[in-house]
Amino acid sequence: MSLLEIRGLHKVFGHGSKAVPALRGVDLEVHRGETVGLVGESGCGKTTLGRIVVGLQAPTAGDVIFDGQRLEDLVGSKGFRSRIQMVFQHPDSSLNPRFRAGTTVREPLQLMKGGSRSDIEKEVDEVLTLVGLGPAYKSRLPRELSGGQQQRIAMARALMSEPELVVLDEPTSSLDQSVRGRIISLLREIQSARNVAYLFISHDLSTVRRIADRVAVMYLGRVVEVAETEEVFESPQHPYTKALLSAVPSFDPNQRTRRIILKGETPNPADVPAGCAFQDRCSLVHGRCREEMPKLETFTSGHDVECFAVPTLAASG
Amino acid sequence: MSLLEVQGLSVGVAGSPHLLLRDVNFDVKAGEVLGIVGESGSGKTMAALAVIGLLPNGIELRGGSIKLENLELADADRASERVTADISMIFQQPRSALNPTMRAGRQVARVLETNQDLGKKDAKAHSIEMLRRVGISGADRVARAYPHQLSGGMCQRVMIAMAMACRPRLLIADEPTTALDVTIQAQIFDLIRSLVAEIGCGVLFITHDLAAVAEMCGRVVVMYGGQIMETAGITDLLDDPEHPYTRYLLEATDKEVDHRVIDVGVNFALKGCRFSHRCPHAYHACNEFPPLFAIGDGHASACFLNKEGRVVTS
Amino acid sequence: MTETVPDRSPEFVPEEFEGPDRQSRTKMSLGFVRRKPLLVVGVSLLVLLVGLAIVGPFLVGDPLSTDPANTFQAPSAAHWFGTDRFGRDVFARSVHAARLDLTIGITISLLALTVGSFIGVIAGYFGGSTDEVIMRLTDVVLAFPGFVLALIIVAALEETMVNVILAVSVAFVPYFIRLTRAQVLKERELEYVDGARLAGNSSMRVAFRHVLPNSLGPSVVGATLVTGYAVLTVAGLAFLSVGIQPPTPEWGVMVGEGAKDIITGEWWTSMFPGGMIVLAVMAFHFIGDEFGGEAAS
Repeated sequence: MSLLEIRGLHKVFGHGSKAVPALRGVDLEVHRGETVGLVGESGCGKTTLGRIVVGLQAPTAGDVIFDGQRLEDLVGSKGFRSRIQMVFQHPDSSLNPRFRAGTTVREPLQLMKGGSRSDIEKEVDEVLTLVGLGPAYKSRLPRELSGGQQQRIAMARALMSEPELVVLDEPTSSLDQSVRGRIISLLREIQSARNVAYLFISHDLSTVRRIADRVAVMYLGRVVEVAETEEVFESPQHPYTKALLSAVPSFDPNQRTRRIILKGETPNPADVPAGCAFQDRCSLVHGRCREEMPKLETFTSGHDVECFAVPTLAASG
Repeated sequence: MSLLEVQGLSVGVAGSPHLLLRDVNFDVKAGEVLGIVGESGSGKTMAALAVIGLLPNGIELRGGSIKLENLELADADRASERVTADISMIFQQPRSALNPTMRAGRQVARVLETNQDLGKKDAKAHSIEMLRRVGISGADRVARAYPHQLSGGMCQRVMIAMAMACRPRLLIADEPTTALDVTIQAQIFDLIRSLVAEIGCGVLFITHDLAAVAEMCGRVVVMYGGQIMETAGITDLLDDPEHPYTRYLLEATDKEVDHRVIDVGVNFALKGCRFSHRCPHAYHACNEFPPLFAIGDGHASACFLNKEGRVVTS
Repeated sequence: MTETVPDRSPEFVPEEFEGPDRQSRTKMSLGFVRRKPLLVVGVSLLVLLVGLAIVGPFLVGDPLSTDPANTFQAPSAAHWFGTDRFGRDVFARSVHAARLDLTIGITISLLALTVGSFIGVIAGYFGGSTDEVIMRLTDVVLAFPGFVLALIIVAALEETMVNVILAVSVAFVPYFIRLTRAQVLKERELEYVDGARLAGNSSMRVAFRHVLPNSLGPSVVGATLVTGYAVLTVAGLAFLSVGIQPPTPEWGVMVGEGAKDIITGEWWTSMFPGGMIVLAVMAFHFIGDEFGGEAAS
């Protein structure tokens, strides 16, 4: 059984004529101890999805099932809070500027687990060491830390309650390249030490490739393709995934010649065309795409694609 | 002959002995795209602002020369006119670089009026043509829109149209796609490449993204802490990086990372090499400021050690 | 000749240039004086006034002792500010009044700040109908000029010093509610607030332990301004014989008592306490204004 199961998730912001759908029926699974990369461009709804999973926002429709129980039943219950945690995008604003690192990291333990003062301190030291900082950093204020160090404190805070799932919302995108690599390898070390599952949200495909076991590609509020990481990068099927991958700047001159330059821009989420949302930018578009919304279908085992132009396993087999 | 020649450029905060740019040298030839790559605090943007004469308040030129076609720009009086006419710049946040109270088409037209002495009517017609040239479909509609009604990618196209309207000799592009999505970035790169080929101007392309440099540039200057670390042709740099910082940066984009590199911020107070307090190879000589040692054709590295860890003797 | 060098030699210590030396640091603070002259004036005035309020009463004579032989003495070496119609020393009274007025002003300001930011955080953080109700009530209070409101409240209650303090505080509370609420609205969008929720904080704890301390900046600046206005308001009420009554040495009382002496030429009985009010309001205003500009930039 998967740790997290998302079914038909919808989220609409605003009401009436001003309603903007951010999520339009998302299906996704995360297994215990694995890393799922959630990629997509700005406005595709990936951050909203992450916030719903940790319970910071409520979905409009659909189910989030965590460890066999519906999220909405769990949210109020004691003990749930500690099981799903989140690391945010901006390390400089995700820590309380008036709290010393020790206070920030100690807080989840005091509030959710309790225990004697010396036990808490031992645990704090251990986790700070795990994120590569050590107990000496407890007395630092956020402004006395570099961006990478701030992000390590944020990671320590998320890990204190020994969560089973951590949502990482663009954790490296505001960090410098040379720091980014360190954070990614640290995340991998933590995963093997604690068997925690990650939902890794990012617009940066090369970072996702380095950490994710499976990748889900989102476009305008829907998951359009999901598969094992190497499968997505080596054999993408959805025309959007193909364009997205080919657009990433590359050291390899050959890749540049294969580049697909998409026409136009992502449509306004408030005004998505009927049928497939990608139709106006797609090279494979045909009549059916303008009338009917495609569904996520199995292409090969473990590789699902949402496109009429891609043969499904059922149809071809 | 070089279009732009920067030599020994040093820039510092007024009232402080520390330099934000220290002895920076580079040159851009006509029709060439030179990349300056570096992380935050590397001084890459500061170098660009020094060239265009827009150093922020409280930051002053401490020496060096900036020559555009042999005209000294560091000498501010004579330079300002040439700068506005011959150098254009596009920025990281296109929306905030545009005037929010003026329609996009009007902003392009104004540039044409001042730079090409066109009448109001001609300028208007020409501005729509310019918008079309930067790949905006429905240029009439976009010309009438205000910046807040346009997407980031569209604003960047308008910025590029304004920059190109002057037919500049030199275009400075400061992280032009960092705020944009990758699919839009690919479109903008394509556009800059084709316009540069058409106008034949030189480009100073500033970015933190090595892969973007690999896409756009022939030659690269790698900066760290206001100091040039390495300068090389793009293939040499990618295949055969010499400086420890460049090697670390390239590794960082790859799978494995050198954990011996210390993870701290830039220290502008350092006497010697600015990377020495992080560098896993630093030794006593690194408290001296390293000159650029030539190691090949157009390839130079500011490190006393070569890749094999041997002291360079020049 | 080449030699092989091992990885980072353990004895390598990166050397730094000398930091900005002491001389240039004093230069920087002098530059500060030049850039913010009003702040310097304000702080100097405040130091003077507070010093006077703390030490002064021990040095000057009794503010209440009358001297029928020496009424209406013009300012002189013996009576710096002259004497009033009862022969009381105006300087001694002004100095004692400084202690009273500053204490009242600061008390009012702190009281209004405490209550206002408490309510402001609740309105801003919880939003919705709570916010709606609080803001409408605030609008009602703000519909009255502060001075008039305080006047009405004191007149309706017993005219004691405590009631004056409470009444004037009430008039200033909406100001702090608005300042705090506006800052909370900005602050609650920051990621650390979500982080605090995920760390297991209840919403009350998020509001008061995380958001409130980070939202106090503008209110603390506002409190300096309010201290000045509070002094002015209290003195104004006393001038109208509402609240603090003669013979208490209080600036407003003194101005009120002395006002009628101006026609007969004894200007010093009212001008000196009046000048003290001006100085106090100026001191707080300059400080608050300059810091407010700083915080906004």
